[in-house]
Amino acid sequence: MERLPLYSYRIIDLTTAWAGAYTTRLLADMGAEVIKVEAVNDGDLMRSAMFNHVSRNKYACALDLAQARGRELFLRLVALSDVVVEDYRPKVVEELGLSYDILRSARPDIIVVSLSSNGPGEDSADDGPAGVDYGEPVAGLAAAGAVALALWHRRRTGEGQHVDVARREAIAGLIGEYVVGYSMNRRLPRPAGNRHSSMAPHGCYPCAGDDRWVTIAVEDDEQFAALCRVMGRPELASDPRFADVVSRYRSQDELDSLVQGWTRQLTPQAVTVALQAAGVAAAPVLGAPALFDDPHLRARGFWESVSHPEAGTWDIDGVPWRLSRSPAHVRLPAPRFGEHNDYVLRGLLRLSEEEVRELAAAGVIGDRPGPGVRQQG
Amino acid sequence: MTSLSVLHVLDLSEGVAGAYCTKLLAGFGANVTMIERPAGDPLRRHGPFPDDLPHGEKSALFLYLNTGKKGITLDIGQRSGALIFRRLVEEAEVVVEGFAPGYLTELGLGYESLARIKPRLVMTSVTPFGQDGPYAGYKATNLTAFAAGGQMAVTGEPDREPLKNGGYQAEYQAGLHAFTATAVTAFSADATEVGQHIDIAAMECLATMLEPYVSSWAYEKHDIGRRLGNIESEAAPIAVVRAVQDLLEVPQLRARGFFQEIDHPAAGRLTYPGPPFRLEAMPWQTARAPLLGEHNEEVYCGELGISHEELAVLRASGVI
Repeated sequence: MERLPLYSYRIIDLTTAWAGAYTTRLLADMGAEVIKVEAVNDGDLMRSAMFNHVSRNKYACALDLAQARGRELFLRLVALSDVVVEDYRPKVVEELGLSYDILRSARPDIIVVSLSSNGPGEDSADDGPAGVDYGEPVAGLAAAGAVALALWHRRRTGEGQHVDVARREAIAGLIGEYVVGYSMNRRLPRPAGNRHSSMAPHGCYPCAGDDRWVTIAVEDDEQFAALCRVMGRPELASDPRFADVVSRYRSQDELDSLVQGWTRQLTPQAVTVALQAAGVAAAPVLGAPALFDDPHLRARGFWESVSHPEAGTWDIDGVPWRLSRSPAHVRLPAPRFGEHNDYVLRGLLRLSEEEVRELAAAGVIGDRPGPGVRQQG
Repeated sequence: MTSLSVLHVLDLSEGVAGAYCTKLLAGFGANVTMIERPAGDPLRRHGPFPDDLPHGEKSALFLYLNTGKKGITLDIGQRSGALIFRRLVEEAEVVVEGFAPGYLTELGLGYESLARIKPRLVMTSVTPFGQDGPYAGYKATNLTAFAAGGQMAVTGEPDREPLKNGGYQAEYQAGLHAFTATAVTAFSADATEVGQHIDIAAMECLATMLEPYVSSWAYEKHDIGRRLGNIESEAAPIAVVRAVQDLLEVPQLRARGFFQEIDHPAAGRLTYPGPPFRLEAMPWQTARAPLLGEHNEEVYCGELGISHEELAVLRASGVI
């Protein structure tokens, strides 16, 4: 078995929110040594179920970057690292004295990834909806790919670089055809709900039980005939209202009520199995609990068990892609606060035991959670 | 030209996911050749189109997803086509595909046999449910993949049916995963000279991005998944109308030069979104999408040394 792809690369994680934490999660999943540098007092905003999930496979070291000695230790750590990922506001980066130029003076070929809402240069008033934002994991995932490209470039040229990831731009990539379409016709797209520009029926239908749903998408005449047979209504396939794609497109309301009348009697799984056997695309609407129980995900080993000394043993999702020669897994539970201080300070930075004790006493390093830190128990 | 131009990528995927993956690789400088069936990628049939008139060279979806790529036609389903594909693989580092699991193996073009031609080959397979498991043979579309991956359950209004997001979000997300996985794995194969097969299931990609919901259920057995209205929906607020309007109106994106004008011989000069992130040393390339079979002669004659006479035979027999 091969080593993991990013084995031997060290990444410093200064992130405080989901997007960046997701970037370093994926890089850690791929074998990088990710060291999360935490603030000594307030810890991570997300120390929670979410924290434990997104921080698996990472190490943690608590350093006060606002103190000169903390900053100096940090820059020494940068000198031993390949990548720094940060999501501070530009003002904070300047205040802490951790701009790209300064990091580059510590390590000339350093790769620095900066994540923001709209790009650097301005603190954005619009940070998107409160709570969880789809833009966060999209930007985080894109940034992980950016790191791989930047490492590629460094190997070929010896140069590091700055990587600028703006959430709004990352998400724009996923609706690009509408931007191009707007420039064609100067018209915004019409809201389509679950409907499609050519497929019908194409929707989400209620099933037996409370809030249970199934999706069905019919691409062509053959699939429509199969759907009619499975519904026990073979005559509908030749009904002039539905006999060809255009008629079906025009009769979507009628079609949807016919399909609903059938799905309401069945579970989403029963509809799915029957339609898939007949060659029609169908899938249940699965929520998080159903995903955990899903036989397909279980069979593929998507869920992996992780034991955390304080949070217990749980199943969490493993790595979102499978590599044939170096399959990646959850190797470590999320770190406890400052769990790897010793590894970083004594192992990597070669400080003596006495120096570490003195730095802890001065509050430059944190060895126990501050009042803002809630350990998941 | 960037330092990525030495990475040769063959894209067989003919779908949004694979196309988005290779669009990003091409954008950062990789040498990407997309391989369409002789009749053309089915994405060419999907709009938006100028004045809503369908035209194979004017699909906004196709134009957007294939910027920066070379385009050739090839029917790998014919033995002659499969043999040509194997020759192309000799010069490639990455193959991206999205066929039903097992199809390429049937043609003698599965990962194992391609890796014998090119041990350092990275092959990225991006499909709705992955290469194995009980649903591997299931049919899927963007809609059903969005449902199976867990995102639909938290999108929409509480008092009506769950909604999908606008456009092809399930496929784009799988494509973005494919990009990152491919970039990481190709980087590693570049040093080890040993490639791998990457198996990407859209269902797993979508579920992975539901981290707050999944972690809450994993650690606390608390299901926070609710539909809260499409605009305020916590997990997936891509209401396309609002998002496009928002993009076009945000002054900062214009100030950052995010949008680019790209000319195309059939579709004309249009506005395209720029890169999902900016690499200071690897500037975003903005070449247009290829016309159908535009680079056949360049690739088949120029790169593979096929004569014009042979090219005519291949064309007449429907191989290219």
